[in-house]
Amino acid sequence: MAWRNLGRNRTRTVLAALGIVIGVISIASLGMAGAALQQQATSDLGSIGGDVTIASGADSATDGVTRAQVETLRDIVSDAEVVPQKSNSTALTARNGEEARMSVTGVTNAAALYNLTNGDAPNRLASGALISNGTAETLDLELGDPVEYDGQIYRISGFLEESGGFGGGGGQLVLPMSALSEQDGYDTVTVVAGNSDAAAALADVIDAQFNGEDDEELRVSTFGSLDSLETFLNTLNYALLAIGAISLVVASVAILNVMLMSTVERRGEIGVLRAVGIRRGEVLRMILTEAALMGAVGGLIGALGSLLVGLAMFQLLTGNAMAVFNWSSSQYLLFGFAFAVVASVLSGVYPAWKAANDRPVDALRS
Amino acid sequence: MSVIELEDVIKRYQSGVETVEALKGVDFSADRGEMVTVIGPSGSGKSTMLNMIGLLDTPTEGHVHLDARDVTDFSEDELTEERRTGIGFVFQDFHLLPMLTAVENVELPSMWNTSVDRHDRAVELLRRVGLGDRLDHTPDQLSGGQQQRVAVARSLINEPDILLADEPTGNLDQDTGQTILEELTRLKEDENVAIVAVTHDDQMLDYTDTTVRIVDGVIQEVDQP
Repeated sequence: MAWRNLGRNRTRTVLAALGIVIGVISIASLGMAGAALQQQATSDLGSIGGDVTIASGADSATDGVTRAQVETLRDIVSDAEVVPQKSNSTALTARNGEEARMSVTGVTNAAALYNLTNGDAPNRLASGALISNGTAETLDLELGDPVEYDGQIYRISGFLEESGGFGGGGGQLVLPMSALSEQDGYDTVTVVAGNSDAAAALADVIDAQFNGEDDEELRVSTFGSLDSLETFLNTLNYALLAIGAISLVVASVAILNVMLMSTVERRGEIGVLRAVGIRRGEVLRMILTEAALMGAVGGLIGALGSLLVGLAMFQLLTGNAMAVFNWSSSQYLLFGFAFAVVASVLSGVYPAWKAANDRPVDALRS
Repeated sequence: MSVIELEDVIKRYQSGVETVEALKGVDFSADRGEMVTVIGPSGSGKSTMLNMIGLLDTPTEGHVHLDARDVTDFSEDELTEERRTGIGFVFQDFHLLPMLTAVENVELPSMWNTSVDRHDRAVELLRRVGLGDRLDHTPDQLSGGQQQRVAVARSLINEPDILLADEPTGNLDQDTGQTILEELTRLKEDENVAIVAVTHDDQMLDYTDTTVRIVDGVIQEVDQP
């Protein structure tokens, strides 16, 4: 019945539903855009966000972080992995004549720091070498190929995942600590805290232990900015959703208008319904059903449209279109749909109430 | 025993600053199986009286009795219930719902009541008014006379005690009007309903049992056959 009533003025119904479709698409797409941005940013920063990086401080008498300081660090942080590193730089020449400059890191517990695309990162790196996969490609190196540093030959045992956001660009060569044995202290020590909150807490403890007010023995830094970035992304997300919500509000005003027009137009007819004994609640239900149907159809089409937009957006932003089905983004499809139905029913309430409570005598006379 | 009775009914309307008295103490009654025709000039209060009988409006003073029950102070929802079960309406311009077929229009008053299936009765009624072959036609595929016959069938779907007809032949030509009136006369006896009709149409008087003339809100004469 409600369905057929909607069918009577197809153009008007379609236009109102179109408003809802656009509203849903904008709210769901913007929500998903926010989710995509967040996902991308977090995956870029995720691995380093939980680290505390420690280097020799401005007032330190020693060159680098000393072995004793590392031991003290291990005592303080207890659970977290403490990974001392030495660093240098070198140029590698490949058989094909290509040359690449890169940073060299001497580390023992490589597993704690690096993600590998190929091969294994041992937690006691003793003889092999790890190299960034980009550099390996340039130099045409494969697993097991030798690289030379400081007169010593190391065989490549793994490829490092290119770190996308920060610190990327230059190639990286990871060698056993012994390769840089001529250096005394460690250039940096990374404490793997796991997440940015733990990192910040650890950094405070470490700072308090080693440094006085005017005496910086160790420079302790974290990517605490990740937190504020997340806050920023959340704010951005809400702002995007608010913009989407405005268009849905506009759409529901359109539905309100359509329902009002159609009830005014059908006033006599509704009067007949009331005269022949159709109850007020039944008239109310009929009109609300019309509004809900309109909202549901508009919402469904809108959700499908947003899904397409979302697929495209995730493909562009994260390179993985299927990530749109993650709850963090697909929830917006559901929200958009639910919002559409709720908004439609709400905007149907006034016209429905007005039609149902119109006195049949007055309605019939019109 | 009267199925519907108006007792000294007064109805006043507020029209701007003026109060209009549309009915000035009307007494009226109709029995089952009886056709009562209300005639009178326009503005005489005919329609107001019909609204009172049809429980679409309540009197300012006086009482309305339906089946010997005083329904004057019934709430709107109670009145709706009485209309649903006891009163059928036929309007001058048919008032069929355009998106429903003939049989659906006839079923309309019972459509929301899922406890009873009136489909068979709807088909039966349409057959009786001669529209057995037009069941699935929509109103715009039917002539005026056919539409009015659908409306008559609709008014009878809930087996009412009273059938109210507001100018039932007003929008029809002479011949079609006549068939409708014959139809009503037949149904009046078959269904044992009281028919109260308001009309300007003189040919209606040939079919009526009682004629009531109302002028200026006062019943002037009652012709009993």
